[in-house]
Amino acid sequence: MFVRNAEPWMDGSSLGEHLEETGVSRRSFLEFCTEMAVILGLGSAAAPSVAKALESQARPTVIWLEMQECTGCVESTLRTEAPTIGNLLLDVVSLDYSETLMAAAGHAAEKAKADAMAKNKGKYVLVVTGSVPTKEDGMYCTVAGRTIRQHLEEAAEGAAAIIALGACAHWGSVQAARPNPTGAVGVRDIIKNKPIVNIAGCPPIGDVVTATVVHFLTFGRLPAVDREGRPLFAYGNRIHDQCSRRAHFDAGQYVESFDDEGARKGWCLYEMGCKGPATYSPCPIVQWNQRTNWPIGAGHPCIGCTEPYFWDTMAPFYNRLPNVSGFGVEHRIDTIGASLAVGAAAGVAAHATMTVMHQIRRRKAHQTPDSGSTSGEERNNG
Amino acid sequence: MTPATESRPRREIPWFEARVPRVHGDFTWVYLWGAPLRVMHWVSVFSIITLVVTGLYIGQPYFMAGGEASSHFLMGRFRFAHFLAAAIIVMAAIVRVYWLFVGNVYERWPALFPVTPRNLRNVWLVLKSYFTMRLEKQPHFVGHNPLAQLAYTTIYFVTAAMIVTGFSMYGQAAPGGFFDTIFGWLPPLVGGLQRVRLIHHTLLWVYPMFVLIHVYLAIRADSVEHAGGVSSILTGGRFVSSHDTFEDFNIHDQPSEPWKSKHH
Repeated sequence: MFVRNAEPWMDGSSLGEHLEETGVSRRSFLEFCTEMAVILGLGSAAAPSVAKALESQARPTVIWLEMQECTGCVESTLRTEAPTIGNLLLDVVSLDYSETLMAAAGHAAEKAKADAMAKNKGKYVLVVTGSVPTKEDGMYCTVAGRTIRQHLEEAAEGAAAIIALGACAHWGSVQAARPNPTGAVGVRDIIKNKPIVNIAGCPPIGDVVTATVVHFLTFGRLPAVDREGRPLFAYGNRIHDQCSRRAHFDAGQYVESFDDEGARKGWCLYEMGCKGPATYSPCPIVQWNQRTNWPIGAGHPCIGCTEPYFWDTMAPFYNRLPNVSGFGVEHRIDTIGASLAVGAAAGVAAHATMTVMHQIRRRKAHQTPDSGSTSGEERNNG
Repeated sequence: MTPATESRPRREIPWFEARVPRVHGDFTWVYLWGAPLRVMHWVSVFSIITLVVTGLYIGQPYFMAGGEASSHFLMGRFRFAHFLAAAIIVMAAIVRVYWLFVGNVYERWPALFPVTPRNLRNVWLVLKSYFTMRLEKQPHFVGHNPLAQLAYTTIYFVTAAMIVTGFSMYGQAAPGGFFDTIFGWLPPLVGGLQRVRLIHHTLLWVYPMFVLIHVYLAIRADSVEHAGGVSSILTGGRFVSSHDTFEDFNIHDQPSEPWKSKHH
């Protein structure tokens, strides 16, 4: 996947010169630029501008901090579309510090990071994956003898912008799910004074990460975001509104179990608890692993991993609605509501019967002494 | 031949009101509910039935379409009916809110909150007579008794919550659009879009329960208590006997043209 025998991108040479040296053709570079322009919503006509901005780019410094996480975001990013240039870009920009990708280890790695940060203070991009544990003074995640919180605060100090990559980095993801034993929080809860872009997902799609980096290199700033801090070019629409199974939703054709007729025919996964109607993500369009497929395409309902605190808010993953606490695990709101409605009907029926019986008794009682006349009391019931 | 305009009697009653004789011996017809309020009521009836039936389908599709997707639009039609009925009940709600400011004393803001000590005692008395069947001990009201009024006020607030949560979900399809901009603050406040969905779905069940009890008690009030509940929501008023005493009404204060009066 990586460009073999790639010369390191030296300070002082532009990306264009560097690509020429490594033997990447002009054609494949322009293809990459066109694709990025399209993903960013700029349109293919903007490709020459993107190419121009990128090729004159001096080598950017990127520090990639891996905190309390599973490394899935790095894995996903490596499987980006247009692997040659996309990975080259990430390879070169993540050169300075990335625990998973860099060759250096131990003190040498820490020194490389400290040097890169000191040299490019105020200019480098900080990519963060994983959450920050806050309980027990952050002892749940330490690197090189210091807590990850100290690393983050130090690295954020001189960063031009922060890319919070993945659900952990913004909301804490599974570590922050109830009861959150490590007190995990996202970067935004620690760092308040830097621009942060939220590349949501567990993990996010590699192309979205690459496109965000390209946007930053082309325009010198982070892309426009929605109210959750996610780039609008990627997270601007609901999965439900872009879904390839949407026609079956509108038609009223639903999978009711994973092995039924509907599942074989590719019907809508709404009744299987699909969170597509509550989830903003480019999955249906950009897809995964070089456009191989995506969860709903493979017959699995969306679990809403790009949404805030999705482990808590989207659970249970295979039910339409959240469970109602206090009524046991398997009680759904329809069971409770229908029971109450039936109870109300029974109550009404019982009360009506009582009323009728009471009226009959009263009329009999009134008719006994003086039949036919309406007593003042009865009329007084208005 | 005299011109038609002169031969016609001068209208003392608004055109939309029932033309019934106002006085029958001991009984006097009292005007209670303005036409906008009654129209709102019956429009809401049809909207609520539509919303509950279609809402339950949208929440849990209870039947399906076979064959090709291109030849069906089942969920699409249910959702369309739901949104249409929702738009209609929102208009009814707007009329009701307007009428809270210009309606008569039974329809205005203060009437929604019968929370004076006397009213709260009457809530208890009404409840007690419902459970003990002692009609003769039940306090009388020409308008709603305070227990009924509290139920209606609750339904107004539930409907307001349904409108807000409903529009919040409706706005999801167009982020940054009109409804998303106005109602987008809700999901973060309650803990996510799924929570909004749960609230909307849970409150739906209030309506079947309310409708059952409401219709039953209205018919009971009409037939057993002789309170004219059903007829007054159709004609706008009811007959009261001059022998009766009411908690919220004095026959001697009754103006000759009640529909022109804002304060009885």
